[in-house]
Amino acid sequence: MTWSRVVLMAGLALTAFCAPVRAETVVSELSTESVEITSSFSGERLSFFGSIGPDADADVSSLNGPYHVIIVVIGPTTDRVAREKTHNFGVWLNTEEVRFAHFPTYYQVLTSGRLNDIASPSTQAVENFDPAGQARPNAEAGWWKSALFGRELTRLMTEQGLFGLNEGAVKFLSPTVYTSRLTLPAAAPPGRYLARTYVLKDGVTVARNTEGFTVRKIGFERFLAIQARQQPLLYGLVSVLLGLLTGWLGGVLFKRN
Amino acid sequence: MQIYLPIAEMSVNLFFLVGIGGAVGFLSGLFGVGGGFLLTPLLIFSGVPASVAVASVTGQVVAASTSGALTYYKRGQIDLHLAMYLVLAGILGAFGGVAAFSKLRAAGQLDLIISIGFLVLLGFVGTVMLIESARAILKRRSGVVSRERLPNQHNWMHGLPLRVRFKRSKLYISVLPVLVIGLTIGFLGSVLGIGGGFVMVPALVYLLRVPGNMVIGTSLMQVVVMMAATTMLHAVQSQSVDIVLAFCLMVGGVMGAQFGAAAGKQLRGEQLRGLLALLVLAVAIRFGLSLVLTPGDIFSMAVAGTGGVN
Repeated sequence: MTWSRVVLMAGLALTAFCAPVRAETVVSELSTESVEITSSFSGERLSFFGSIGPDADADVSSLNGPYHVIIVVIGPTTDRVAREKTHNFGVWLNTEEVRFAHFPTYYQVLTSGRLNDIASPSTQAVENFDPAGQARPNAEAGWWKSALFGRELTRLMTEQGLFGLNEGAVKFLSPTVYTSRLTLPAAAPPGRYLARTYVLKDGVTVARNTEGFTVRKIGFERFLAIQARQQPLLYGLVSVLLGLLTGWLGGVLFKRN
Repeated sequence: MQIYLPIAEMSVNLFFLVGIGGAVGFLSGLFGVGGGFLLTPLLIFSGVPASVAVASVTGQVVAASTSGALTYYKRGQIDLHLAMYLVLAGILGAFGGVAAFSKLRAAGQLDLIISIGFLVLLGFVGTVMLIESARAILKRRSGVVSRERLPNQHNWMHGLPLRVRFKRSKLYISVLPVLVIGLTIGFLGSVLGIGGGFVMVPALVYLLRVPGNMVIGTSLMQVVVMMAATTMLHAVQSQSVDIVLAFCLMVGGVMGAQFGAAAGKQLRGEQLRGLLALLVLAVAIRFGLSLVLTPGDIFSMAVAGTGGVN
């Protein structure tokens, strides 16, 4: 055993001793890895399962709850603008706007209890669970305007069912096994989604896990959406030909009757 | 039965789409107009993004006007020479319109301009048509035989330079008013998603004095070519043509149009024009109210960048 090795081992032992005891780990599972949008897509139900267990070098006796679980489902991000109408010369116009970069298109929080009861203020500040906290301040617009428009943007997203805080949606089947359900709406935008699971004890995160799933158009819908972007000229031509053909066919069919 | 629209990225009831396509098709067959001016607002009011509604309806108008244009072509009631001038100017206008469309959408003012555009255009055309048809109906009631307007009467526009002879329409007039009409309708058509038949027909009749048997056919021909070009421009520039949406509307529209045309034979011309005027005014008022009344929500949102395709 070389000296460097001894120092390393000692160092590791020291960190293990000093760090707070992280005895828990969480194993989670999602009902689906890919949500497929077909022509009759009208939303999909997702199920979450998970079990809180002892960490690799801890034993079962170190598991003493009560535990709480928060699951955050985040959709792909885009730049989004929030606009405000004002009354000018008798007409309502969009006059003010704030642009929010990397704003999630979907953000749902599932918890096993009231957010303020299960997560301490400092944990909430670090993890930023709240849907209202997703609009990052825009330096150009200033803090006050960003906060105002960000709140309204969150409200609009919530009204469309894309954002939400579902307190009590996570149910414990036993002190360490939980399950939850979420219905992904038809308006859920396609892209890569993340499901982040946090296990909390005494208001502090003790274990976490992240899984991904994809919402994607498949088959004909996917083909059309891709062609519209990659072959716009051809797509336009086909649209026009379809129109001419349908019009002509309509005329011919009904004349015979 | 829900159907997913791949460009609008939303689910809509299939029967609703075919239904409004059919209802508007019925009216367009009844009145001999494309119906874009009704369809675009209906789609916008039912939640389809304005940009997708406008771009997809242009595709639908192609279908709605094709069978009519073919019928008139077979009867020799299209002045191709005149239509060519209108179309060339119109395509230029459509380039401008599609560019303006993209700019306005990025600036968040597209909905406003669409509302104002419909309000002004429909309000004006509807009022003029209503007055004209009311007069015609009253005259008929009082038994006065109104003299047909002479098609070859000239006005000051015809004296402008660059005169061209349009043999079919028996006109020898300056091309400048022809080009201005084409340009304006091309621009408006691409911004508002309308064929412009209901503007083109009065313009041809009252401004250019095109003979009555050539008006409808020439206007339809111009609408088909213009809307085909506009669909292409929208597909390339704003990429908001939803082919599934357009097709559902087409199927409903083509069927409805045939029933409308049959029903139209039961009514007299001025009655038809009067009803169309009322319909046009109703849509104009609806847009006017949306501008003036306090909106339910003064905040709105839109995606700024282009989303991913997966």
